[in-house]
Amino acid sequence: MALEDFRADAMRCTRCAYCKWIPFDHVKSWKYAKGCPSIEAGKFHSYSAGGRLVTALSLMDGRSTVTPAVEDSVFKCTMCGLCDVSCKLCRYDMEPLAAMSELRATLVEDGHVPAQVEPILKSLRTEFNMLQKPRAERGNWAKELGLKDLSKEQAEVVFHAGCRYSFDGDLGHVAKASVKILKQAGLDFGIMGENESCCGGRAHTMGHRKDMHTRATHNLTAWKKAGVKTIVTPCSDCYHAFKRLYASTEGSEIQVLHMVEIVDQLLKDGKLKLTKAVNKKVTYHDPCHLGRQGEPFVAWNGVEKKIFGQAVAYEPARPRYNGAFGIYEAPRNILKAIPGLQFVEMERIKEAAWCCGSGGGCKETYPDFALSTANQRLDEAQSTGADAIVSACPWCERNFLDANQEGASKLEVLDIIALVEQAL
Amino acid sequence: MEISRDAYRAIEDIVGAENISDDPAFLDSYAFQWLAELVRPENSHYMPRPWAVVLPATTEEVQAIHRVCNKYGIKIKPISTGWYHWAAPMKDNEPTIQIDLRRMDKIISIDEKNMVAVVEPYVTCAQLQAEVMKLGLNINIIGAGCSTSIVASASTYFGAGPSSYYMGNNSDNLLGQEWVTPGGDVVLTGSLSSDCGWFCGEGPGPSLRGVTRGNMGSRGGLGTYTKCAIKLAPWHGAAVLEPQGPPPAYRLPIPENTRVYTIGVPSWDAFAETYLNIYDNEIGYIFHRQFNLAGADLAPALWLTYLRPDGTMNDVETASKDPEMQKLADEGRISFQIILQGRSVDEVKLQDKILDAIMAKTGAYKVGRFCEQDFAEFTHMYLQRLGHKHCNFIWVGGYMGSWMQAGIPDFVKNYSPVAIDGFYRDQKQSDGLVQCGGDALMGCGSSISGGGYFGFEQFVSYDPNDKASVQACVKHMYDAIDDCKANGIPLGKEYIYLMIGWPDEQIWNDFSKAPQTFVLHFQRKIKEHFDPRELGDRNYPWLPKGMGQPNFITQS
Ligand SMILES: Cc1cc2nc3c(=O)[nH]c(=O)nc-3n(C[C@H](O)[C@H](O)[C@@H](O)COP(=O)(O)OP(=O)(O)OC[C@H]3O[C@@H](n4cnc5c(N)ncnc54)[C@H](O)[C@@H]3O)c2cc1C
Ligand code: SF4
Ligand code: SF4
Repeated sequence: MALEDFRADAMRCTRCAYCKWIPFDHVKSWKYAKGCPSIEAGKFHSYSAGGRLVTALSLMDGRSTVTPAVEDSVFKCTMCGLCDVSCKLCRYDMEPLAAMSELRATLVEDGHVPAQVEPILKSLRTEFNMLQKPRAERGNWAKELGLKDLSKEQAEVVFHAGCRYSFDGDLGHVAKASVKILKQAGLDFGIMGENESCCGGRAHTMGHRKDMHTRATHNLTAWKKAGVKTIVTPCSDCYHAFKRLYASTEGSEIQVLHMVEIVDQLLKDGKLKLTKAVNKKVTYHDPCHLGRQGEPFVAWNGVEKKIFGQAVAYEPARPRYNGAFGIYEAPRNILKAIPGLQFVEMERIKEAAWCCGSGGGCKETYPDFALSTANQRLDEAQSTGADAIVSACPWCERNFLDANQEGASKLEVLDIIALVEQAL
Repeated sequence: MEISRDAYRAIEDIVGAENISDDPAFLDSYAFQWLAELVRPENSHYMPRPWAVVLPATTEEVQAIHRVCNKYGIKIKPISTGWYHWAAPMKDNEPTIQIDLRRMDKIISIDEKNMVAVVEPYVTCAQLQAEVMKLGLNINIIGAGCSTSIVASASTYFGAGPSSYYMGNNSDNLLGQEWVTPGGDVVLTGSLSSDCGWFCGEGPGPSLRGVTRGNMGSRGGLGTYTKCAIKLAPWHGAAVLEPQGPPPAYRLPIPENTRVYTIGVPSWDAFAETYLNIYDNEIGYIFHRQFNLAGADLAPALWLTYLRPDGTMNDVETASKDPEMQKLADEGRISFQIILQGRSVDEVKLQDKILDAIMAKTGAYKVGRFCEQDFAEFTHMYLQRLGHKHCNFIWVGGYMGSWMQAGIPDFVKNYSPVAIDGFYRDQKQSDGLVQCGGDALMGCGSSISGGGYFGFEQFVSYDPNDKASVQACVKHMYDAIDDCKANGIPLGKEYIYLMIGWPDEQIWNDFSKAPQTFVLHFQRKIKEHFDPRELGDRNYPWLPKGMGQPNFITQS
C-alpha cells in the first residue's frame, strides 16, 4: 500500500470527531467519555485520526511539509485503534488506523525518525530485542525449567515469551507461570530460548516495516524448521504481530493463541482446576492488541466498487475489523473462575477500552505521554474500588508499574496468568 | 496569509507556546470541512485556512485573545467540536484566528432541583446526558447527535433534535450565556447578570436571546460563548445506559415504562393526521423520522445488515434484491420512529392505548420487523443517545441535506412529494448520486419546543472523493431551489449552503429582497455596537445602510 491509497479515506472523512471518543453509546460519565490518548495530550485536531487523515492529504497535495510539529503529531499516538472502532461504528469505507500506519511508514521512509528511536532500532537489529539487552540473556528465564529447545528439537507448539517477559525482571515470572500451566495441561511444546527474536510488531507500528519483515523472516524460518504449527504467547503485542501482521504482510498461516485462550479452554475442558482462593477485588484492562485489534485476520485482495450509483462496496467484500470479534470473554471467564476473586468492570472496556499508553512505540519515544495515558487508566481502575488492575500484556503492565512509581495509584498491577498460577 | 509575529507572540503570551500553532498542516486540519466541496472553488475540500489556531483554557484568555485581535484587526472564529463548514473561516484573504475551545470542557454545575446545567463549550451532549441521567434528568440532543457541543447548539446554531418534541429546542432551552463579544467585553445574559444565578435567559437582567441567538444563531459570527446554562428535562429511565451486544448496532434494553415503535402510514395525508393526533394528545418522548436517511427503497436492506457486526455493503446490495426486503421497504415507505416513556408503567400503557386509537383512526400501523425486539432495542439505543449520527454519511462519506423547510404538518405533507419527485428525477438523470429512491426525507418531530412544527431534509448522498458526484450534488442543490420556486415553497437549506460561496454583494442583494429587511438592519446596529472592527464573520447576517425595502430602521 502507499499513502495515496488512503486518499479516498481522507476525502471521505467528515471531521465528525467520533474518533476522539469511545463509542458514544458506551459513555457513562463526563470523565471517561474520552477515547483517544493522542488528542488528550496534543489537543490540536491533528492529534486525532481525522486530523492525521487531513495531514496526509495536505502533504500529498503539497499544501504543507513535514515539520517538527507534524512529526510530533504523527508519532505521538499509541496506535491503540480506538479511533478505528469509533469511526467504523457508522462507516464501511474508512480505515483510519491503517491510514495512520501508512502515514508513519511514509515519514519513516522519508527519513523522519524521532531521535529517541535510533538506539532502540539498533538494539532490535543487533540484539533482536527493543529493550537494549544482550541477546544472549534472552532465554535466561527458562534456564532451570528443562524445556524443549526448538532450535535443536521439534514440537508443534512453540511458547514465545516475547521481549518484555524475557528481559523485564518484574515480569519474568509470568513466562514461568505460563509454561507451568502448559506443562500441567500435558502440552508438547518448546521454546526458542536464546534464539527467540522480537516479533517486530512494535517496530511495525512505529513505521519501521522493514525491521518487522526481518524479524518475521527470522521467526517464521526458525519455526518452520522446528515443525511448529501453533504459537502460544502471553504477550498481547506479540500475539497481534503474529496473528495479524505476519498474516497480512508475510502470508503466515500459523495458528496463534494467547495464553488466555489456552487457559480458558483448559478450564472449559476441565483440564485445569483453580482451587486456591485469591481474595482480591480486581478490574481488567483489555490490551488493545488482544481486544479490539485481536480479531482474526481475513485475507483480502480486492478493489472498491460502487453500488447504487455511488455507495462504496468492495469486490470481493472487504473484511470488517471493527472490534466486534476481539478476545474479550476469555480473560473475563478466567477471572470469574478464580475462587475468592471479586471482578469489577471499568467504564471503558472491550472495544471501548482506554489504551495503557505504551503502544505505537510511545513507551520508548514519548515516555511522559505514555505515563500520563497510564495515569488516566489507573485513575479509572481506582474508581471501581478495585485493589488491583489485571492485564494480559507486559507492555501495559510495565507502563502501569512505572506510572505507579510516580504515584499514579496504589493499585497492585497483576498479570492474569500470574493470578491463575496463584489459584492453582 | 500571514499576520505579524507581534500578534502571534501576543497571543502566545496569553495561552503559552504549546497552545497556539500556525503550522500549515495543523491549520489545514481546521480548514478541511464537510460540505466545503459543494461551495468552494474547484470543489476544494478546504474552507479558507485560518492564520493560526489557539487553544484558550479560560474566559479571561478568550477575552484577552479577542483584545489582541482587535488591536491587530484579526478576525475571530470559534470552534467547538467542529462538525460543519460553519466553524471554519468564511472568506479567503481575511486573516482569522481559529479559537479551538477544546480545553474549555468542564461541566460547571448541575442544579438538579431547578433542572439547569451550566457547561463550557467543549462539553459534548453525550457527556452531559450521561451525567444528568444519573439524577433522573435528560437533555435535548440535537439531530446532529451527541458528539456535538451543547454550547454550540444552544448558543449559536439551530438546536432541534428528536427529543425537542418533548424537551424543547436548545435555542429555547438556553437559560443564560457568558459571552465574550468580538469587541472583547464579557457579557452575562439573563438572571446571571443580576447575580441571581443561571436560571432564566430572559432576566432579571438583560434578555439577549434575540440578539445572540434567534432561530438560526450567529454561527460563530458574533464572538465566543464561553459558558451557557441549559434547561434539563425529566428522564424516567436507567441512571446509566448499559448498551448490549457488539458494535456497530448496540442495543438498549427497553424497560417496562417505555415503548419503541416504527410506525408506517399509507399516505402523506395520513402522516400529517397521525402527527397532529400524537401532538394533540401529548404523547411521546422522542419523535423522529430516522432510518429513512438511507432512502425508503434501501432502508430495510441497510439497517437489517447494520444489525450484524460482520455485515458489509456487499450484503446490503444482496439484501436489497431480496423480494422480502422490497416488501418491507413498501411497508415502511412512509414511516417514523416514536418512543413513549411514562413516569410509571401505567402511564406508558395509557400512552400506548392512545397511540393504538390514533393509528386505528388514521390507518397507521406498526412496521412489524422494525418493532421486533432486536431492531426495537437498536432503535432505542440510537435515539436515546444519538450516538450513531455519523451514519448520516454511511453510504459514501458525503451527504447534503436539501429542503428542511419547517412548518405545520400540512405544509410538510405538501412539500414532501415535491421534494421526493425532484430528488428522484435528479437520481435518474445522473449516477452521481446514491440511487436510494426519491424519498430520503429525514427529520425530527419538532423544530420548535413542544412540537406541532417540523420539517424534513432530503439526504442527498454523494461521493466527496469523486468530482462528478460532488457536481451532481451541486446541480441537485440548484434544482431544489428551482423546484421550490416553481411550487411557491420557501427555499431550503441548500440555499444557505450555496451562499457560502457567494461574494458579499450577491448575498446582500438577495437579503435586500427579504420580506422584513428591518431585521437585517437591526442586526447591523447590533454588530456595530458589539463588533465595531468587524471581527466576526458574515455568519451573523446584516445589510448595509440603505439596502432593501425602506422601513423605520433602514434609514437610521
Ligand atoms: C451531520 C449533521 C447533522 C446536523 N443536524 C442538525 C440537527 O438536526 N439539528 C440542529 O440543531 N443542528 C444540526 N446540525 C448543525 C449543528 O447544530 C451544528 O453543526 C453544531 O451545533 C454542531 O456542534 P459542534 O460542536 O460541532 O459545533 P461547531 O461546528 O464547532 O460550531 C458550530 C457553529 O457554532 C460556532 N461556535 C461553536 N462554538 C462556539 C462558541 N463557543 N462560541 C461562539 N460560536 C461558536 C462555530 O463557529 C460554528 O459556526 C447538524 C450538523 C451536522 C454536521
Ligand atoms: S476519521 Fe472517521 S471518526 Fe474521525 S473525523 Fe474522520 S470520519 Fe470522523
Ligand atoms: S490510535 Fe489511539 S491514540 Fe492514536 S489516534 Fe487512534 S485513538 Fe488516538
